Amino acid sequence: MLFAATLLTGCYEDFTPEIDTKPVLCLNSLITAGKPIKVKVTHTWMYNDKEAQHDHSVHDAKVTILANGNIVGSDYRPSEGDKIRIMAESPVYGSATADVVIPFATPIGKVKVTPVVTDIWKGDEGFYNYEMLADITFNLNVEMDVDDPAGIENYYNFGYNWFNTIIDDDGNIDDELYAFAYNPFSIGKFEYDAEPIFKEHIGIFETIMGNDEDTGFLFFSDRQFPGKSYTLHLKYINNVFRVKSQPYDESLLECGVNLYLTTVSPSYYFWAVYKWNADQGILGDLSDIGLAESKWGYSNVSTGAGVVAAQASTQYTIDLKDFLKNYIKNNK
Amino acid sequence: MKKFLLLSIMFCFCSVILAQKVTIKAVDQPASVVFRGIVEQTGKNFVYSSDLLKNMRVSVNVKDRPLKEALSIMFKDTDIEWKIKGKNIILKKRVIVDRPKRVDNKTVVTSSKLNMSPPIPKMLDEVVVVSRLEAPAVDTSEIGAKKLTAHEIINTPVIFGESDVIKALQMQPGISEGQEGMAGMNVHGGNSDENLYMLDNVPLYQVNHFAGLFSAFNAEAIRYIDFFKSSIPAKYDGRLSSFLDVRTKNGSQEGHHGSFRLGLTSGAFNIDGPIGKNTTYSVALRRSWFDVLTIPMLALVNSNSDDDKIRFHYAFMDLNAKVTHRFSNRATGFASVYFGNDILKTGSSDKQQPEIGWYDDDKFDFHWGNLVAQTGFNYRFKPDLTAEFTAAYTRYFSGMKHDWLFKDIVTGGAIETHSVSQTKNNINDWIFRADFDWSPNEISRVRFGGNYILHSFLPARTERNYTVGTTQINTRDSTWAYTANEANVYIEDDWHINDKFRMNAGLHLSLFNIEGKTDFGYGPRLSLSYRPDENWAVKTAYARTNQYVHQLSQTYLSLPSDQWVPVTRGFKPQNADKISLGAYWQSENKMFVASVEGYYKIMRNLVEYRDEYYLQPPTEMWNAELCSGNGTAKGIDFKVEKIFGKLTGHISYSLAWSDRTFPDKNGGMKFPARFDNRHTINILVNWNISDKVSINAAWVGHSGNRFTLLPQVWGSPDFGSMYSDDETPLKTTINNYQLPFYHRLDLSCVVHNKRGYWTFGLFNAYCHMNTVAIRRSYDKNYNPVFQKVKLLPIIPSISYTWQF
Repeated sequence: MLFAATLLTGCYEDFTPEIDTKPVLCLNSLITAGKPIKVKVTHTWMYNDKEAQHDHSVHDAKVTILANGNIVGSDYRPSEGDKIRIMAESPVYGSATADVVIPFATPIGKVKVTPVVTDIWKGDEGFYNYEMLADITFNLNVEMDVDDPAGIENYYNFGYNWFNTIIDDDGNIDDELYAFAYNPFSIGKFEYDAEPIFKEHIGIFETIMGNDEDTGFLFFSDRQFPGKSYTLHLKYINNVFRVKSQPYDESLLECGVNLYLTTVSPSYYFWAVYKWNADQGILGDLSDIGLAESKWGYSNVSTGAGVVAAQASTQYTIDLKDFLKNYIKNNK
Repeated sequence: MKKFLLLSIMFCFCSVILAQKVTIKAVDQPASVVFRGIVEQTGKNFVYSSDLLKNMRVSVNVKDRPLKEALSIMFKDTDIEWKIKGKNIILKKRVIVDRPKRVDNKTVVTSSKLNMSPPIPKMLDEVVVVSRLEAPAVDTSEIGAKKLTAHEIINTPVIFGESDVIKALQMQPGISEGQEGMAGMNVHGGNSDENLYMLDNVPLYQVNHFAGLFSAFNAEAIRYIDFFKSSIPAKYDGRLSSFLDVRTKNGSQEGHHGSFRLGLTSGAFNIDGPIGKNTTYSVALRRSWFDVLTIPMLALVNSNSDDDKIRFHYAFMDLNAKVTHRFSNRATGFASVYFGNDILKTGSSDKQQPEIGWYDDDKFDFHWGNLVAQTGFNYRFKPDLTAEFTAAYTRYFSGMKHDWLFKDIVTGGAIETHSVSQTKNNINDWIFRADFDWSPNEISRVRFGGNYILHSFLPARTERNYTVGTTQINTRDSTWAYTANEANVYIEDDWHINDKFRMNAGLHLSLFNIEGKTDFGYGPRLSLSYRPDENWAVKTAYARTNQYVHQLSQTYLSLPSDQWVPVTRGFKPQNADKISLGAYWQSENKMFVASVEGYYKIMRNLVEYRDEYYLQPPTEMWNAELCSGNGTAKGIDFKVEKIFGKLTGHISYSLAWSDRTFPDKNGGMKFPARFDNRHTINILVNWNISDKVSINAAWVGHSGNRFTLLPQVWGSPDFGSMYSDDETPLKTTINNYQLPFYHRLDLSCVVHNKRGYWTFGLFNAYCHMNTVAIRRSYDKNYNPVFQKVKLLPIIPSISYTWQF
C-alpha cells in the first residue's frame, strides 16, 4: 500500500551523479560440452553515457583459454568435467579472468507418460470445415525422474520442445517449416505450477505478494534431493492434434515432445536467479525506489562484469504416435 | 548541615500507587527533584515561574498521604502558594503570613525549610512555567538519558498529525529516523533492531503501524517515557543501542476523565477514573478509519462493474487498558493489556461470462501486531525497601496469506485451480520478574532483581498448496521453531559520594539457552558525575550491552515479512561496548541548558543478510542467508535547550561516524552504515502564544543517507531466448554514495476551546521533497538517465480532540 502511495506521490529528477568509477572488462560465455568455446569480450560503461550505449565491444583484447591448465585454441571442444579458465587482457580496460567447470550431464531416469483426452471436436465434412476432420485435445502428464549424482552440488535447467510431421498446403509431408506449413500437433500450455521445484528460488515474501506466477523459470538445484532421485511433475494441458481430412497415413501421426535436462554450472544458475529477482521480483521493484537494498548483477568474472557459464544436456523423447493411433482407431 | 544532608529520596516509582496518595522521603533535596517524584506518582504537572524555586530545598517524609497534605507540608512556612487545577499543580508567590503550626499525627515532618538565596527579586506573574518531569542533567549521573511526557510528545509536529513517541525522540541528537517519514530509530550508529521498546517494562517486538509510518504507542495512553542511549541502567539489557520504556497512564481517582480525538488517519478514545475507593481504571483505544471511506467507495465502484471487483481493506488499532488496585498502604497491584494490530486485505475478482469463460479470485490477507498482558504487585517491605513482582505474556505475530482461485468454465463444468500460500511468524514470551529498590542509607540507592523469560520463536512456518481439480499437486511445508530460556540478574547502586561526585555502578548478567547451546553475557555499567558547582557537571559512562535476538528485514519498511529470530547455532550473541563523556551546563535561572556528549561504540557479531543472499534458494535454512560482522560508531552531540517560558525548545547538532565490517559483505572491506549521517541539526520550537494557542515547529537537516549506487553496467549475456539482451549493473562497494542533504520543516498549531482543542499540522511545510534513492531509468527520449527518487511532499493534517 505504501509502495502504491509512494508511486502516486513520488517524483523523479534526472541528474548525473558525481562518482569516481572506471570501466572494466566484461566476459560472457556459455560453454556447452562438445562444442567450441565462444567468448564475448566487452567493457562496462556508465549507465547514462549515451555514447557508450550501442558499442561496448573490445577489439584489442587478448583472450586466452585454458582447459585443465593447458592453453587451447578456439576450436577446442570441452568435455564434461573440464576445468576451463578464460583470461582476457585489454590495454584500455585491464584484465579479467573467469573459471568454470563443465558439468557432467545427468541422465534422465524413468519417465512415465499419461496422456488424457479431454475433448474431441469433429469437423462437419462437406461443409465449410471440409478441411478438418477432428481436433483431439488432450493433457499430458509426465513424471520424469532426475537421478542426481551424489557428492556434488548440481544445478539444472529443464527444457522442452515438440515436433510433428510438417504438412504443406497441398497435404504433402515436408521436411521444413515454411509459411504455409501446417503443424498438426501443438502443445497447449505447460502447467508451470504443477512442479514446485521450479519455484524453489521464490521466497515466501514474493509468493505471498502473488509474485510466483508462471515466468518460465525452469532452473532448479538438487538442494532438496542431494544424491537422490527426484520426480519432476510435468503437465502439458490443452494439447491439440489435428486430424486432416485426407487419406489415412500413419506417418502423419509422427509427433512428440522432447524433454531436456541440462546440468548447468553454478554461475549459470545464479545468473538466472539474479535475473529473475531483478526483472520479476518485488524486491527488485522496491530497490528501484530506495525501499530495499540495491541489487547488482551476479558475476563470476574477476572484474564483476559478465558470466562464464557451462552446460551439458541429456534428452528424452516422448513419442505420441502410438497413443494417437490407438485413440483414432477406437474413436472412428 | 545543609549540603551534607543529602540523602535519600525514596519515591515509590511504582506506577501502581494511586494517583492522589503519595509517598515521599526527602531530606534537604532540591525542590525540583521532589516535584519529579510527585509528578511520577500522580501524573500531575507542576506549573511555576522559573525564578520561584531558585535554590529552594525541601525536606519531607510522608507515607501514603493525600497529595494535598504532602503539598501543605512541603510549602509550609514558605512564601509559595499552591493550587491543584485539573492536571496541574500551580505554584505562585504569596505574601508570607505567620500561621500556627499544624499538627498531624499521621505525618512525620523531619524538617522543612526554605533557602531562598537570594530572595525572590520581584513579584511574579502567575503560571508562566511548566515543570518538567525530567531531572536537570546536572543533577544526575546519567549520560544520554531522556524523559518525555505525553505533553512533549503531542507538541512535536509529525506526519498526518499522528503524535508519536518515536518521532518525538527522533528530534533528539544522536537519533536518526532512518527511512523518511518512518517511526524508526537508529541510535548512535546502531541498527533499527537494536532498540528495546518496552511497555511498562515488558518488551514489544512489533512497534509500528502502517508499514512503519506510525509507532504502535498511542500518545493518549502514555504518562511518560524513559529513554537511555549512553548510560544504561543495569536493569536493562537485551539490545545494543537504546532502551525505551513507555509508561502508561494510571486512572485518576478524582473522577472520570477522557477525550475523543478524530484525526486525518485515526480516531482515539480514552477514559480513566475510579472504580470504588481503591481501584482505578484507564482505557485508551486508537483505530485508523481509512476503511470507513474505502469500504463504501469500493462498494460503489464494484457495483458499477459487472465483472471486476476490487478488494481493499486496511486498518490498524491499538488498545491499552489498565486497572490498578490498592490492597493496603503497603501493597498495590495492577493488571494491564495492550493489543496492537494491523490488517490489510486486498485483491480482486474478475470473471468473464458465467456460462463459458473464467473466474479469477485473488486474495491477499496480511495481519501483524503485538499482544501484551501483564499483572504486577508492589509491596513495601519497609520504608526503604520496595519490590515489584511482574508476570507478563507478550506475543508478536504476523501472518501473510495469498489465496488464488481460478475457474476455467467450460461446457458442462469447470476446471478449478486453487493456490494457497501462507506464512506465519510468531514469538511468545512468558516473563517473570522481580525488581527491588532499596535505600540502605541516605547516600545510596540500590536496585536489584532478576527475571526469567521463556521464549518460543517461530521465525517462519510456510505452506504452499496448489490444487487443480480434485488433485492436490504440491504441498510444501517448512517450519522453523525454537524454544529458548533466558535468565537475567542485575544490581546497581546510585551513590552520592559527596556533594560533587555521584556514581552509578551496576552489573547485568544474562544467560540465553537455545538448541542446547548456552550463551553467557555480562554487562558492567558505570556512570560517574563530577559537579564542580551548582550549574556545571561533567560525566563519563561505560556500558556493555548484549543482544540475543535480531530482526531480519528485506526491505526498509516495517512489514509482516520481517522476522525476529534468535541467535542460534553458528552465531554468537551481539554485544557492544560504549564509552561516553559529557559536559552539562544550566543557566543560573535554570531556563537554559546546554550539553555536549561524545561517544565511541564498538558493536560485535552484528547480523545482516549476506551480499547476494537472494541467490540462495529460500529452502535453505534462514540463517544460511546471514552473516555476522562488527561495527563502530563515534560522534559528538551538542544541544542547547530552553526549558521554561512561553518559547521553549532546543537546537542540537551531531557530528557522527558509523561503519561496518563483515567478512562476507563488501569483500570484507569496511563500509559506511546506511545512516552514517555526518552532520545532523535538529531544531524544535514550542511557542505558547497564549493559554489557547500554541505553535510548534520542528526542522531537521542532516547529511544524506548512504546509498549503494551502481553507476556502471555491462551487457547481459545472451544465454537463451527467455532473457533479453539488456544491461546489468556492475557490483560496487556498499553504501558508496551519499544522497543530497536532507532537510524538512514540520509545523503544528494547537488551538484550545472550551471543549477541547484543534491541532493543525503541516508535514514538510516548505515542500522540499528529499531524495531517498537513486534509480536507473529513461528520459522521455528513451535515453538512459539516473534519477533522484523523491517521496513525501507537503502533507497537511487536522485533528480535533474533545475532552471531558
